[in-house]
Amino acid sequence: MRRPRESYDVAVIGAGIIGCATAYYLASRGLSVAVFDRSYITSGATGRCPGGIRQQWSTEDHVRLAMKSVEIYKNLDQELGVETGYRQGGYLILAKTEREVKDFERNMRMQRSLGLPVRWLEPGEIREIVPELDVEGIGALGAAWNPTDGYADPFKVTFGYARAAERLGAEIFTFTGVERVIVEDGQARGVKTSRGVVRAEWVVNAAGAWSRLVAETAGVSLPNKPYRHEILVTEPVKPFLRPMVISFHDNVYFRQSSRGGIIGGWGDPNEKPGYNFESSPRFLITMARLLAKYIPPLRGVRVVRQWAGLYDVTPDARQITGPVRGVEGFIQVNGFSGHGFMMGPATAHLVAQFIAGEPLDLPLEPFSPDRFERGAFEGETAVVG
Amino acid sequence: MAHPILEFDRGREVEFNFEGRRIRAFESESIAAALVAEGILTLGWSPKRRRPRGFFCGIGKCSSCLMTVDGVPNVRTCITPVRDGVEVRRQRPLGELPKAPPPEAKAGELDVDLLVIGGGPAGLSAAIEASRLGARVAIADENVRPGGQLIKQTHKFFGSRENYAGVRGIEIARILLRELDGLSATWLTRATVIADYAGRSHDVVVSTPEGPWRIRADAVVVSTGATENMIPFPNNDLPGVMGAGGLQTLMHVFGVVPGESALIVGAGNVGLILAYQLLQAGVDVKAIVEIMPKIGGYAVHAAKVRRMGVPILLRHTLRRAVGRERVEGAEIVRVDESFRPIEGTEERFDVDMIVLAVGLTPSTEVPRQAGAAWDYVPELGGPVPIHDPYLRTSVEGMYVAGDSSGIEEATTAMLEGRVAGAHAAAELGLRPDRAEGVIKEALRQLESFRSGPFSAKVVRGKQRVWERAREVIG
Repeated sequence: MRRPRESYDVAVIGAGIIGCATAYYLASRGLSVAVFDRSYITSGATGRCPGGIRQQWSTEDHVRLAMKSVEIYKNLDQELGVETGYRQGGYLILAKTEREVKDFERNMRMQRSLGLPVRWLEPGEIREIVPELDVEGIGALGAAWNPTDGYADPFKVTFGYARAAERLGAEIFTFTGVERVIVEDGQARGVKTSRGVVRAEWVVNAAGAWSRLVAETAGVSLPNKPYRHEILVTEPVKPFLRPMVISFHDNVYFRQSSRGGIIGGWGDPNEKPGYNFESSPRFLITMARLLAKYIPPLRGVRVVRQWAGLYDVTPDARQITGPVRGVEGFIQVNGFSGHGFMMGPATAHLVAQFIAGEPLDLPLEPFSPDRFERGAFEGETAVVG
Repeated sequence: MAHPILEFDRGREVEFNFEGRRIRAFESESIAAALVAEGILTLGWSPKRRRPRGFFCGIGKCSSCLMTVDGVPNVRTCITPVRDGVEVRRQRPLGELPKAPPPEAKAGELDVDLLVIGGGPAGLSAAIEASRLGARVAIADENVRPGGQLIKQTHKFFGSRENYAGVRGIEIARILLRELDGLSATWLTRATVIADYAGRSHDVVVSTPEGPWRIRADAVVVSTGATENMIPFPNNDLPGVMGAGGLQTLMHVFGVVPGESALIVGAGNVGLILAYQLLQAGVDVKAIVEIMPKIGGYAVHAAKVRRMGVPILLRHTLRRAVGRERVEGAEIVRVDESFRPIEGTEERFDVDMIVLAVGLTPSTEVPRQAGAAWDYVPELGGPVPIHDPYLRTSVEGMYVAGDSSGIEEATTAMLEGRVAGAHAAAELGLRPDRAEGVIKEALRQLESFRSGPFSAKVVRGKQRVWERAREVIG
């Protein structure tokens, strides 16, 4: 079996979208990179997510970052030489209460000021976009509609990044667990893996829901908590649904995949934190009922699979990205709170710029790990939590 | 032509709509069988390359007969009975979202001691034993008619008298079903198990034509049988290429013979028996090809087939199926010691059916979904749940029996079912002394049935699985 070299410029922990994209942007800057994952590429949240790419957020930094990701996604097929299935099918975010209508209005004003072509739809206009949606039955008062939101295939994107990174000299070691981060004199010096010790100038913690445990091995405390999120897919039917449909009120989202299946999730408000991957009958029944309520003809379509993944949730539902105090060279890129696939490309690009000492396209401070100690943070509210 | 063994009670004549065409059928038929009887062999098209797809397995496992029925897409028409006036359409290639919402589903609930999944020889036997011991039992089965593969087996069984030697499979099915009728088990027909959320007890979601059922059970016996194997050759998806079991279903359950001439691939017992079943149905069987240097099935079957003039070509394999919309011929070729085709030895047969009797793979979706430990055991046909001699899996209260525990025979399936059913009942505290007697006797018969040279391979596989069971079952 292939063994890692003695040392690299950067050791990345986790081979999801974040780890693989970071490796690609680092390698394209000429840095030597090794990625370690105790399982396979996309084995964590990336391979379990629905692949949505949304730019409609309640906080400005999130909108900017997501818009940057969309710029990257638009050209990603060409850049990586793969078909990622990226489509701008739009996001239709339904408002079901007066409170939501007000919040959406405020958010849309801010989003438009940043250049997002988002607009308000009256119930009749929603029907023009998705005629099958039972707008009255579900009690939608309107919707925020952004046609440039979309989705891509998480597997194709992540493997695309991984293979492109490898072509540039990065090495990806799957089924290679990281036991701990090696810290000497307040400086990250590498990682101890199941295939031996690897020295590195920089260590990137992109371990998703396990990031907190990885950080602990370096004496760094993160506030992230793992929460199970369940999801299902139906058998394929002829394409009829272009956008992702969301309701924060019902904590539900769904879209149609390029193969025709409806992929959808519902966040159980009673979910407790923990490393739980079990599929539950409660989710199956609730989600099936919700889908049949939103699009009544879906009653005649069967569910073929359900599974679960972990959100890596921070107190403000915003990612943790950047250096930590106390351990130099130990970079956090985690805590995406369910938005890693959307924020991944832009964030990974920024992290590579940071490590390479280049000027940053966008500031990382709003996502700094120490914002919680400072008490200076604004929570993201546009989440399916 | 009258069948020499079977009499068909086809029931009332009905009429349904197929893409604007009125099709007459019998109410006892499945939609797919009725279409094939009309000569409609293309039931759909493949999603990517739009190749025609036809009848293959006949028991709801292969998905090559998915059609839109009364506006509902992706219906497995091989296990859906015809009804008067039903609207059937092919999908090109995907089905469409129903135009109008289908009626709202009615959800049901049930609480039982034992849920048996699959009503074939193993499942029926498990249900009978457990019911006799006083357990409240439910059986879920996907097919139009219960009895599993027994209801298409026209041959007489071997073995001992106590295990129905000399009795035809179809008759054994009647005996078992009659026996179960006298007990108080609950039947869920055309019911597909979606998932078993096994925890302290089993929380099983079952899909039925009326809607979903949720069944809580203390124990579950998984007796879901097997799927037919496919082998790679050009055009292996042409309508007219069928599984041996699929063809038996058409012929013996529905009385439909979908062609005039056939080539059979595989000279195991299934291929050999199928050859004379085809002859009984008036089909011209051109040959049986077998890639191995010797016949896999019993000599007595092979001799019978040869006496009837069907050549068994050893060291031969199928090179390709010939045809555009359906099978028009089969090209075979001889192979060398390392199974490579010998160029120049090709031979073509004009046939309209190619029947694959190339083995089975255990259907283990339910145990694997529920988290049962499993292993790939070639002697047992592929992936099997690890189980002990009492058929217990690593999931508390879950048993496997019959082909889903490893490919064997109907006789052993019935015996395994009895062991599993009795053991499950005993674990519930129901007449453990009587259960012990049943288990002991069934285990003795299993051992005796498996003592012959034909069972050596299976026994090797079972022993490996039992050994693993000591590690994974507490």
